[in-house]
Amino acid sequence: MSSSFRSGAREGFFAFLPLSVGLIPWALVMGMAMISTGFSPLQAMGMNVIVFAGTAQLGTLPLIAAEAPVWLIIMTALALNLRFVIFSAAIAPGFRGTGLAERWLAGHLLTDGVFATCLDKMLQHDDPRWRLGYFLAPALWSWLLWQVCALIGILATAYIPRQWSLEFMATIALIVLLVPMARVRPMLIAALVGGASATLLRNLPLRLGVIVGICAGIAAGFAAENLSQRSKQA
Amino acid sequence: MNFDASLWLIFILIGLATTLPRASFIVLGNRVVLPATLQRALRYAPAAALAAIVVPDLLVVGNELQALNPKLAAGCAAVIAAVLWRNPWLPFIFGMTVLLGLRFGFGL
Repeated sequence: MSSSFRSGAREGFFAFLPLSVGLIPWALVMGMAMISTGFSPLQAMGMNVIVFAGTAQLGTLPLIAAEAPVWLIIMTALALNLRFVIFSAAIAPGFRGTGLAERWLAGHLLTDGVFATCLDKMLQHDDPRWRLGYFLAPALWSWLLWQVCALIGILATAYIPRQWSLEFMATIALIVLLVPMARVRPMLIAALVGGASATLLRNLPLRLGVIVGICAGIAAGFAAENLSQRSKQA
Repeated sequence: MNFDASLWLIFILIGLATTLPRASFIVLGNRVVLPATLQRALRYAPAAALAAIVVPDLLVVGNELQALNPKLAAGCAAVIAAVLWRNPWLPFIFGMTVLLGLRFGFGL
């Protein structure tokens, strides 16, 4: 480990540390939600390690519980992860001069918080080793924090009675993710149209209503954005 | 509920559906560029997907649309708490209090 990697790592870690506290309730709820879905503690930790994604995990839990077809579960996970294609494209220049294995690791560990913390410095700094340290230190820290707190949630759930409807915490968690997104009007329209169509089309075979709802929501949000831009220009 | 071994396959597939989008451009570098229009449209995918999962869960009870049910009331309480305050715990406290209050207090 070079000294520039270490100095980047130190700086990245302390830049991210206060933000990382926000991961703790998420990971606790994630652990509880997986157990409430009916997973064993081993299955729950397995999902947490293999998937490592709050939204995609929470979003697919109701579908897994309802025994929805696998392709629908995958499509939903992809839809929930699509924003990361954009994040990945934005931060990619920061990995110039970094090896392939480290790039895969960085991709696996890319989260909203780490992206937001690292983007500017990753694009400004010249030394690839410093940049890699600046990214990997907060990324590995959030991985560790996520796994430990999810495990605490998993173990705690065993002591909570079933009729407390803890599985509803997963729905609330999705609401907490959705609300800040929907503060912008086209985003709100995308959510309303997506939610309404999925509800109305819930009896379509193979739970197709979810996918149709997502596509309708994307189209509605995009149309609303274009309309509002046109009215601004007029 | 009990899950069989296929659950692990589902985990791996969801894991791929998670890691591949994240790693995409970091691994490919600048060799591929996503069309700007597609990038703009994709920004709406997470909000649409979250709502497509949450809204039916709040409105449908046993495949019937129910405008008044404890889950919807609890969901609204959580939304209000999330809109008003930044504290990430409050929507859970408000939502679960309303849900359990209606279920146990009023037997709904």
